[in-house]
Amino acid sequence: MERDLPKVWAQRGAGYSFFAFVCLALGTTIGRAEPLDLSGLHGRVVYLDFWASWCAPCRQSFPWMDSLQQTYGAQGLSVLAINVDHDRADAERFLKQFQPRFEVRFDPEGSWAQQFKVTGMPTSLIIDRRGVVRFTHVGFWPAESAVAAHEIRELLAEQVGEPQ
Amino acid sequence: MQLKPGAAQLRRRLIAASCALLSTPPARSQENPDPGLVGRFLQAWQFESALAYYHEDGRIQAVEPVVSASHDYGDGGNVSLNFTFDALSGSSPNGALPSHAPQTFTAASAKSFASARRVYTTAPGNLPVDPNFSDGRAAFGADWTLPLTRLSRFTLGGKASIEDDFYSTTVNIAFAHDFNNKNTTVSFGADAEGDIIHPVGKTPVPLSDYAAFSREGDKSKTGAGALFGVTQVMTRNWLTQLNVSVDRFTGYLNDPYKIVTVLAAGGDTAGYEYENRPDSRTRKSAYLENRVGGAHVSADLSLRYMTDSWGIRSQTAQIRMRLWSPSRQHYIEPTTRWYHQSAADFFNPWLAAADAGSTRYISSDPRLATFHALTYGLKYGYDLGDRLHRSNSEFTVRVEYYRQTLEVDKPVPVALQGLDLYPGLKAVFVQFGFSY
Amino acid sequence: MKRLTILTVLTLGCAALTGCSSLGVKPWQRDILSRSDMRPNGAGLDDAIDEHVYFSKEGSSGGRTFGGGGCGCN
Repeated sequence: MERDLPKVWAQRGAGYSFFAFVCLALGTTIGRAEPLDLSGLHGRVVYLDFWASWCAPCRQSFPWMDSLQQTYGAQGLSVLAINVDHDRADAERFLKQFQPRFEVRFDPEGSWAQQFKVTGMPTSLIIDRRGVVRFTHVGFWPAESAVAAHEIRELLAEQVGEPQ
Repeated sequence: MQLKPGAAQLRRRLIAASCALLSTPPARSQENPDPGLVGRFLQAWQFESALAYYHEDGRIQAVEPVVSASHDYGDGGNVSLNFTFDALSGSSPNGALPSHAPQTFTAASAKSFASARRVYTTAPGNLPVDPNFSDGRAAFGADWTLPLTRLSRFTLGGKASIEDDFYSTTVNIAFAHDFNNKNTTVSFGADAEGDIIHPVGKTPVPLSDYAAFSREGDKSKTGAGALFGVTQVMTRNWLTQLNVSVDRFTGYLNDPYKIVTVLAAGGDTAGYEYENRPDSRTRKSAYLENRVGGAHVSADLSLRYMTDSWGIRSQTAQIRMRLWSPSRQHYIEPTTRWYHQSAADFFNPWLAAADAGSTRYISSDPRLATFHALTYGLKYGYDLGDRLHRSNSEFTVRVEYYRQTLEVDKPVPVALQGLDLYPGLKAVFVQFGFSY
Repeated sequence: MKRLTILTVLTLGCAALTGCSSLGVKPWQRDILSRSDMRPNGAGLDDAIDEHVYFSKEGSSGGRTFGGGGCGCN
């Protein structure tokens, strides 16, 4: 029986492509973790920072974020640093050196980084007391850290329930 | 309230300025006590240093210390400075061929051929070398990088170098722009160079008879080049870079110390002439680099292809493999480099006396010959980052063996039979490095 | 041969700018790329010393010396 080879290959190719597409589609939905849960911080101003042990500017941002937490913690600021290292051990070594006094969570798959559309490292998002992202900073510059501090004071001054 | 982009930027800068006056400085934790003036200086700068020793079998040796310092400004700008010193000594081939008879030459530092001079003799069968070669070099370079936007930057730099017989200054600029979330970087660079050649014992008249000791004044050459490159992140483990460049030099391009053996009809040495090269040289090259890596291993594979207006075509291939220990505390890095070049059009190991009148360009400098070269090396590095609380601190040592094998395809005259005319080059290189 | 070379270079250059928008990694996936042995100019001093040695012993020089890659921070 003569087989029309190109037709067979085309059919097989289409079949495998569809199978691959289904796998990819499932993979991107199944693989996605739970979105970042900030409900415990509702009513507080959140400084959400995405960092990694291999990110050189993060070595400068950590002492600054530590002082932010100490200075404004009582007024309602919570610094939350999300680590995106592949290897937890690298992150632990970094934390051991800097000993931060703010909350750190781990996102090795990068799904929360994806959720907040991180476009550079580090990225910090300043979230107001109602959970709305109000300011975003891509990169960390010691010279511009004062701007972020001003923005935080602005948001701390807003009380929950106050009109925009 | 809508603000125009420029106005918003200005508003942020004014806020920053006023906040700087009012804000409290970062609290000093136990981990970051006030380091003092020297400490703060060391924290703000990064240093790299190396001491290299180069030794050619029976020829030149060189000692070269290098120091470089780099400082990052808070806004993405950077300044880097480097200093290099070089001390060379030993025996340098003068371009003449070995002979069955002893040969006598005058050292380049002689004031005249006839007056009291340093004479050196080459024994039969040996490659003629000037045994008292010595040269010192001091070089200084600086580069400033200014950020233009978050995704682009401009670099301006310069270099100056001083040797006993050679002065050089170079100016360079470069511009780079990132695309695709910094996955693609496009760069463009250009440089311009001006050199003065001030040979010891004055400049010999090209193609003149060695014994006549004809001399001219100082010479100069100028050059300009441009380089265009694309760097692309391919995957989390793979980066690739492609650079293409062109440069052109005009002026005095000869080696003032090199002579060419003139052979009579039967192959006997009839004398020597000073070499002469064209007064312009244009070079084009393409360079491709790939870096692939995983958690404990990485490899750097590079290829370069070059052609120039002197007829030289070269190919270079190099592999470096870094093998980290499981803790990434130290590594070894074996390397191999293969190089091949084809000779310049005017390269000739000797000049036939019959051709002496009609030859315009000739050089017997082995650097212009057809040859291949192999380098084998091993580097060891120890990460000092944890010990010194610096992110990029290491101690390194590397050893390399370099061997050049000439490939000259010319029928050997009877009088030169049995001589090793093209011995090539063998060298060992050792370097200690420390970065902080 | 010359025309082929120019064509190849231009194609790769354009591909880099357009087609390569699909190539690359997310900003938080640059851990390996940020290591010094993965940077195009990571071994700066070594390369400069090598370049000086090879320049004085061979007929070619240059080609390297651009950045890009790295951690992509700031």
